[in-house]
Amino acid sequence: MLNMVSLGLISILVGFLGSLTGLGGASILIPILVFLGIPVKEAIASAMVAIIATSSGSASSYVRARITNVRVAMYLEMFTITGAIAGATITTIIHPTYLYFFFAAFLLTASMKFKDSINKEFTPSKNQDRVAKWLQLKGSYFDESTKEVVEYKVNNAIAGGMGMLVAGLAAGMLGIGAGAFKVTVHENILKMPPKVSSTTSNFIIGMTALAGVSVYLFSGLLNLTLMAPMAVGTTIGAVIGGRILNRISNRSLRILFFVIVASLIAQMLYKGVMSI
Amino acid sequence: MTANRSGSGGPKLETSISYLLIVGVIVSLVLEIIGIIILYRSYGHLAISQDTSMFIQGHNLFSFIYEQFQGKHAEGSAILCLTAGIIVLILTPYIRVIASVIYFGWEKNIKYVLITLFVLAVVTLSLALH
Repeated sequence: MLNMVSLGLISILVGFLGSLTGLGGASILIPILVFLGIPVKEAIASAMVAIIATSSGSASSYVRARITNVRVAMYLEMFTITGAIAGATITTIIHPTYLYFFFAAFLLTASMKFKDSINKEFTPSKNQDRVAKWLQLKGSYFDESTKEVVEYKVNNAIAGGMGMLVAGLAAGMLGIGAGAFKVTVHENILKMPPKVSSTTSNFIIGMTALAGVSVYLFSGLLNLTLMAPMAVGTTIGAVIGGRILNRISNRSLRILFFVIVASLIAQMLYKGVMSI
Repeated sequence: MTANRSGSGGPKLETSISYLLIVGVIVSLVLEIIGIIILYRSYGHLAISQDTSMFIQGHNLFSFIYEQFQGKHAEGSAILCLTAGIIVLILTPYIRVIASVIYFGWEKNIKYVLITLFVLAVVTLSLALH
């Protein structure tokens, strides 16, 4: 039987996984809540709190350790928020069935690329496009697992921005944080190191979730007895995740990400088939 | 080691955002825990409730906060604490954007002032509407 204590404990795990992978945690939490008998709309609305808690809880450690690139995050937030609001608006026009299949295909393609890169070390981009250079989109951080300073330059700023617009659209249309899309864009298009990708995604995801708050408030679906244990649990989990991320290897992080994305693909396909 | 860790941005921005997030998260966490304790003492259980008093609703975030200050939704100290904790949690990322605008303005970094102002304007608009 689900009560506030058991939900709090589940949320610790969700916050922990969400903070490590940059996925926010809603995509893990919502199916669990629905399985345990919470109405789906209520679960989606309340999970927004879990995303913000995961984002702020983990970002407090990542930002201080300078793994999160704040400038890159600010630049990308412009696109993702615009996308999220546009997505929330056009979701009434396009049938969600197409979206589920589209994003399942997108994640499937991206995860193939991730699977190949699990055993490869991150190689920083030597080149930088004009926009990225103009916006000083570069950085460095100290990787505690390798005991090395990792320097990197962000590339393809415009294409990456467009990718984040699509990620924002996904978030707005499907009511998810779309962290999987964000991390994919960060690594594959913007050429950011895995740890910078997931932590910067975590930072941005809180802002994307924030954009939808008023919609959920107006809908009257925000249940305090759901949100309170979720906020406490995910914050604790995210803070723990934030403390250990820098000590684990990029390979372990990619495997964890790959496993969660695989379950997300299954979820998207299931929802797509069920909505036909 | 600290010198090696520094990247392109000013470390002060990272430090101030980090502290802001920590304070927001801790205040919200404390309020939520106090709220849960009061709830348990009042009802004797911690079940997930479908009672309408446990649902929060407002026209938009800003009007909802304003109504809280006016005490329109205050129906008990547990609900008040839980609601306040959620509001603090929601406002934490919003305040960090305001702090970033101020920081880049103080640094006279026009490019990033414009970028952060754009984000702030869009988020404010989305929170003011529904």
